[in-house]
Amino acid sequence: MPPCANCQRQTQILILDDEPIVCKRLKPGFQKAGYGVETFTDSGLAMARIEQKRFDVVITDLKMEGIDGMQFLVRVKQIYPDTGVIVITGYGGAEIAKESFKKGAFDFIAKPFKLGEIIEAVKRFEKSRKKD
Amino acid sequence: MGFANGLKRLFSLRLTSRPVLPFTVFFKKFRSILERNNLILELMADMGDKLGGEYIFDIQYIKDVAAKISEQVFKLISDLCVMTREDIAELFAAFERIQFEIGEELAGRRAVLMQRSLEREQKRGKKGLFRFLSALLGRGDSGNLAPFVILLEDLDGDFEEQAGNKFANLGEIRNTLGLSTLDGFVVTTNAFFDFMEANGLFEILERTLKGLDQADEGALEALSATMRKRILSGTMPREVVSAIDRALDIICGRNPGRGCFFAVRSSGWGEDGEFSFAGQYESVLNVSRATIVEAWREVTASVYTVEALRYRLHRGYRESETAMAVGCQLMVEAEVSGAMYTYAPIASEQEAMVISGAWGLGAAVASGIAESDTIFVDRMPPHRILSIEPGRKTTKMIGKQGGGTVWADVPAEFQEKICLSDDYIERLARTAVAIEKYYRRPQDVEWAFDGEANLYILQARPLNVRPDHPERHMVTIDNAALSSRVIFSGRGQVVQGGVGSGKVYVTRSDEDLKDFPFGAVLVARYTSPKYSRIMRKARAILTDIGSATGHMATLAREYRVPTVVDTGIASRVLKTGDEVTLDAIANVVYAGTVKELNSFEITHEEVFEESREYRLLKRVLKKVTPLNLVDPASESFRAARCRTYHDITRVVHEKAVESLIELSEGYQSRHAGRSRRLEFSIPLGLTVIDIGKGTSSAPGAESLRLEEVESAPLKALLEGLTESGMWETAPVAVDLGSFMSSLTRTFSGSMAGPEQVGRNLAVVSDNYMNLHLRLGYHFNIVDAYIGEELNDNYIYFRFLGGVSNIERRSRRARLIACVMESFDFRVEIHGDLIVGRLKKLSGRRMVGRMKVIGGLIGYTRQLDVNMTGDEMIDFYCADFLERIQVLEEVREDAPMCELPTADPDFDSG
Repeated sequence: MPPCANCQRQTQILILDDEPIVCKRLKPGFQKAGYGVETFTDSGLAMARIEQKRFDVVITDLKMEGIDGMQFLVRVKQIYPDTGVIVITGYGGAEIAKESFKKGAFDFIAKPFKLGEIIEAVKRFEKSRKKD
Repeated sequence: MGFANGLKRLFSLRLTSRPVLPFTVFFKKFRSILERNNLILELMADMGDKLGGEYIFDIQYIKDVAAKISEQVFKLISDLCVMTREDIAELFAAFERIQFEIGEELAGRRAVLMQRSLEREQKRGKKGLFRFLSALLGRGDSGNLAPFVILLEDLDGDFEEQAGNKFANLGEIRNTLGLSTLDGFVVTTNAFFDFMEANGLFEILERTLKGLDQADEGALEALSATMRKRILSGTMPREVVSAIDRALDIICGRNPGRGCFFAVRSSGWGEDGEFSFAGQYESVLNVSRATIVEAWREVTASVYTVEALRYRLHRGYRESETAMAVGCQLMVEAEVSGAMYTYAPIASEQEAMVISGAWGLGAAVASGIAESDTIFVDRMPPHRILSIEPGRKTTKMIGKQGGGTVWADVPAEFQEKICLSDDYIERLARTAVAIEKYYRRPQDVEWAFDGEANLYILQARPLNVRPDHPERHMVTIDNAALSSRVIFSGRGQVVQGGVGSGKVYVTRSDEDLKDFPFGAVLVARYTSPKYSRIMRKARAILTDIGSATGHMATLAREYRVPTVVDTGIASRVLKTGDEVTLDAIANVVYAGTVKELNSFEITHEEVFEESREYRLLKRVLKKVTPLNLVDPASESFRAARCRTYHDITRVVHEKAVESLIELSEGYQSRHAGRSRRLEFSIPLGLTVIDIGKGTSSAPGAESLRLEEVESAPLKALLEGLTESGMWETAPVAVDLGSFMSSLTRTFSGSMAGPEQVGRNLAVVSDNYMNLHLRLGYHFNIVDAYIGEELNDNYIYFRFLGGVSNIERRSRRARLIACVMESFDFRVEIHGDLIVGRLKKLSGRRMVGRMKVIGGLIGYTRQLDVNMTGDEMIDFYCADFLERIQVLEEVREDAPMCELPTADPDFDSG
């Protein structure tokens, strides 16, 4: 028996941010909104995880030790072109936003942001995917 | 020319010729101060918002925003430096002090370290720094006892480093939650450090641990034995002993009826936190005054039992992370005592709390030595009793005469009797839930009732229960969100996150607050600081109108009551008695009690309020937002007294306005041609400085008539004052006491009394006006541009002051907000300060709005004395809105919110 009745339909989200607080706060927020969530503060581990499992949505920070968010974004889109990637960053310049979009990001959100905003972004992605 | 001569010249230049700055430069600086002032207020509001729980932010944000606000405050003072010849060195000193403190917080150096340096400096005899630091740290009576002892009434959650987790929490339970605790004090970790150092104990510990093989039990036992022996025979530094003595004098002195005996308990770093260390450290009961230090040694020695050493070693705890504070509280002559879990560790669908209780002192229950009664209670109010399992209580622990404890037989008729009445059970349940709600974690609460039915909380710590099946839990959350009816969502601003359920109580006036039921959800039209009275009883708060930066918001955060303001509709949609659940993280109001949300809330991994980021931001904000200098007339309104950036901002603003007015008077005499007094039917005492086509009076004229005012904003404002007829018919005071005080209160300094009109000033050009208007005790600033180009147009309105108490002034502030919002202004309220902004409307509309402001200035002149209740806000707001219809512009131009969005003035950005 699957652990929960509607797991099949549940949108799976991976969150990567080297600041633990961001993961700790986003996780229950998304869980409460009915999503399946895995969080990572180490980009290497997140990279290994996406090689194993397909996520519908990936939320990633940009500036991190080791593999940075841009590289992560590129790799995710390489393996799963359909996965929606949302970039969150505290250094929200227009240039960086442009680059993220060029590399296939679905949305770009500057930190700090409201929990509602990012859930909204995920919902928009789900809607856009349904249309396709 | 010699050096001395040059210096002299420089001095005379400084003293006499400073004010002869070109007016335009001077005025530009002044406007820059105004703008920066607003920017700083916005940054403060922004930081405050982040505490609400709706935002996700990290440490980087705190560092960035702290740097930004520091920079703005620095530039603000620099701007003032150009404007005024007054000595502003004190302002810079205050700035540096505050900036330094913020830097220390950001670098992770907490007050405890400053305490340590304080003490070191004291030893070295640096009196100046000592006084500076003591002033910084001194609080209440404890100021004299610091750094070794702090009284319980001065503790809160921010004192973990000094007082240890247990007593910092107990302080919060007493001082924030208002629950009864036993009088007492805590001997701080500073005492621990000094004792350990003085007796060379850290050295021994360090040396031994370096070469220690973790598997070598013998070596660990030897270390434990050495440490314990040395602690039990160690010498307590004299300063600590005398601080303890003074604390004992205070406590025993103010509790004359009780014997002076104490319960002495451990309160270590991290104890009751992530690692509970539960039961590892010792407590000593019924300690006489003379043996307190001995008891302190006993408790401290328990830090180095073999078990405790091993526990820390295995969990990777470094010994440098270990420190022990020791709490000393008066003994309670407990009739009944015990423990309570707010989340019963039972495998059941039913959500229950469990109480264990027995006769006498509580140690019997905690240690499980004696039998106790076990009572299961519903988690939801009214906390129905689910089951009672009586224990056979044959013995009880009691205090022995002269100190120590002893076991006594329980009389036969009491052995099988349930030790708690229904009333006691309900009180316990309510109290424990209040603590759980605050910490957002299930709690393990130790309690006692004395013979006079007083309930005391002895300690509370988080209970680590996780749901047995997290997956099942997730499904219920998922389903709950789907199946519960949403009443409204996403409206207004979250002030404090969290989940709260209960019956709605809609308050209409001050009177009905008395009847606010325990555990209800407060619904009100406006935010108000007076709700602090019921915050401890409220499960959630919703208001129609209000800002996330006001007084009430601060209080809601302090008490951690889930709160959403500015919903627009709460008091209309919700009725008293409705059962609702507010999820103030997702910002949704559900019909009914959504149990799953409540349990999710207290079991999910991180409590936001306990996170490092939250606490850091809160501590930084303490140095930024509180406004201590509120009254410019008071003696303490000085640069040297500035304790926060807000204080500095306020002082700079006041000084800037003062020097602008002074300058205008000087300017008048020097440039008679362009500065004139306004001859007007209403005695405003207004001087008008024309900086470009703002007036059309003859050159050389000394006065100015209304017809000669060409400046569009000033003309509109003056016409608004006369045409609205509000000045003459200003409401008559109905409350004599308050009115009398407005007549008799004496003022000094810069705060002009009503008789002192005549220091008012307007700087104008054809499209621009900057107006400073003191009327009575009210102080208005209007800065506006009204021209043909829609995008350039703006009105900025700032209103402050008043003579009556802060409640009435805040009511008046909300009345003004009500009116201004009806005319599309974006309004912010900070206590009794209101800032309204309006941008990008057509010139015609702007003129109409400016006339309304004219009317409003007239209307509110004496109004605050009438604001005796919240219901007066709506009353006067409606009264004003009706009477202002007399203005042609208002009749013809309905406020934008009632117009179709195709309106040419509509501005989405």
